[in-house]
Amino acid sequence: MKSNRSFLVQLQILTKRMVLRVVRRPLAELPNLIISAFFLFVYDGALGGVFGGTASGTPFDFAKGNFINFILPVSIVSASLSGAASGIYLVEDIESGVFKRYQSMPISRWAIILAPMNVGALRVLLQSGLILFIGIIIGADPAVGNIGFLIVLSIAFIWGMGFAGYSVAAGVKSGSSQGAQAATFLFFPAIFLAPTFVPREALKGWLETAAAYNPTTYVIEAMRAVMVDGWELDILFRGYLSAGLFAALTLTLAVLSARKATEKA
Amino acid sequence: MLAVDVKNIKKTFVSKQDYVEAVKDVSFQVKQGEIFGLLGPNGAGKSTTILMLTTLLSITEGSASILGLDVSSKDKEVREKIGVALQDTGIDNLLTGRELFFTTCRLWGYSNKDSEKRTTELLELVGLMEAADRRVKTYSGGMKRRLDLGLSLVHSPEILFLDEPTTGLDPGSRRVLWDEIKRLRDNGVTIILTTQYLEEADELADRIAIIDEGLVVAEGTSDELKAGIGGDVITFAFENNNDLENAKNILKNTVQEKNELRITVEDGASKIPGYLKDLGSNGVEVSSVSANKPTLDDVFLEVTGYRLEGSEDITNEEEKRKR
Repeated sequence: MKSNRSFLVQLQILTKRMVLRVVRRPLAELPNLIISAFFLFVYDGALGGVFGGTASGTPFDFAKGNFINFILPVSIVSASLSGAASGIYLVEDIESGVFKRYQSMPISRWAIILAPMNVGALRVLLQSGLILFIGIIIGADPAVGNIGFLIVLSIAFIWGMGFAGYSVAAGVKSGSSQGAQAATFLFFPAIFLAPTFVPREALKGWLETAAAYNPTTYVIEAMRAVMVDGWELDILFRGYLSAGLFAALTLTLAVLSARKATEKA
Repeated sequence: MLAVDVKNIKKTFVSKQDYVEAVKDVSFQVKQGEIFGLLGPNGAGKSTTILMLTTLLSITEGSASILGLDVSSKDKEVREKIGVALQDTGIDNLLTGRELFFTTCRLWGYSNKDSEKRTTELLELVGLMEAADRRVKTYSGGMKRRLDLGLSLVHSPEILFLDEPTTGLDPGSRRVLWDEIKRLRDNGVTIILTTQYLEEADELADRIAIIDEGLVVAEGTSDELKAGIGGDVITFAFENNNDLENAKNILKNTVQEKNELRITVEDGASKIPGYLKDLGSNGVEVSSVSANKPTLDDVFLEVTGYRLEGSEDITNEEEKRKR
């Protein structure tokens, strides 16, 4: 009667179960999506007139005529933070006792931990993809051609997984979904201590220094390079490296904290 | 082979601020096919004991085996053999009963087709077929407990651990669950359950261990435990506090509870006239007197020195139900 009970089958079953949970709470998906779309429309409305086509020939022409291309990466980075839901999903299972039920069964502890991260990854792709789609509709046009969209999405995915790892580590450490939720406050410094509205050269004083140490800066700059400037390989490399290092660091933290959580007391 | 063999297990929780001995010394043996009840108040160490036996908590000292498999070193093998429905194990409220059974069957290694079949069997077994496609958050407390029990049976475990399976249930739901637990025992499943309800232990358990402050203070069948007290329990009731105080001085070895004094003696009925004569000659007025065979409640009082809270509530609920 009993058949395949491999790690991958377990991971697939647990991921499917968690997708069902997400689908059953569609409203929980909206806030981050709305905020990301809001950034796109409001910043374009407020700043597009100044830094868009009319800035041509002035020192403020950093969007090179298309402000959507310039501001879209900010919205994409914001959407990619939806990966932070992974920690909340995991802690909800810990709080409700579902985690303990799975621990009492002969299934892989790692499948239990990785399932919410899988769902976080799907969420990042879905939300970033939707914002990208909106961007395309309202005029985004990458300088490197359509492959630019894939590059932007791939950086967003790695960056989003970084936030997934961070939220899992914070959630397991705090032991409560409120704790995991509160940990997402990192969103604000990540977004706003970066060259969000203007290029880094236009920042000054402490903000310029903070932006230099903020990995989000390099992620946004890499996305902007393909959207606005063309193939700037060194900038692109720095973007992937920043996102990759951030993801590696937080996923390591997530693994360490999850290992502790699954150990017997 | 014994179903469960527990030898002097101990559990301590150590933190910077605290050193807590949740289980000080617990030993017992459970034969295959019996219901074994761990009876005790909140905080006695029952749930901690169960968590250790179900591999969810490490054992600080001592050893335990399930069907000959050491719980500490063979935890994966042990988990294959046991079903677990603990107070701490939760149910996903956003899924339907059918989805939960199906998911659990798949996790236990059943194919899609077999999972569908087993899901239907279990939904029928725990009487949730009609509610199968409703989300669990719409279920009543009793339905959730039945679902929990059903989920622990997916892989047809040889040994089932139930941690306070009926706490918080209404009398009707409790009775349904009791019947189901007995039916499982009759089908050969060994069941270890914890309870803080004396009646539940009396009704269900073939043998009982009373746990208090992390120690097993008594163990045996319900009849053995009651017989262990020896004789009958005579209960004297008093309307006047002075009479009660005077009676305490006249009668030896009494246990007071509210306005009553209890004394355990051999052949209680024949000794009542003598006691009444002694009390009467000292001017003590007794409002009522009775002699009864000891109950599990009396056993608990005898071995722990206090009465188990909550047992009265369940009795009242049962009486209301009978009326």
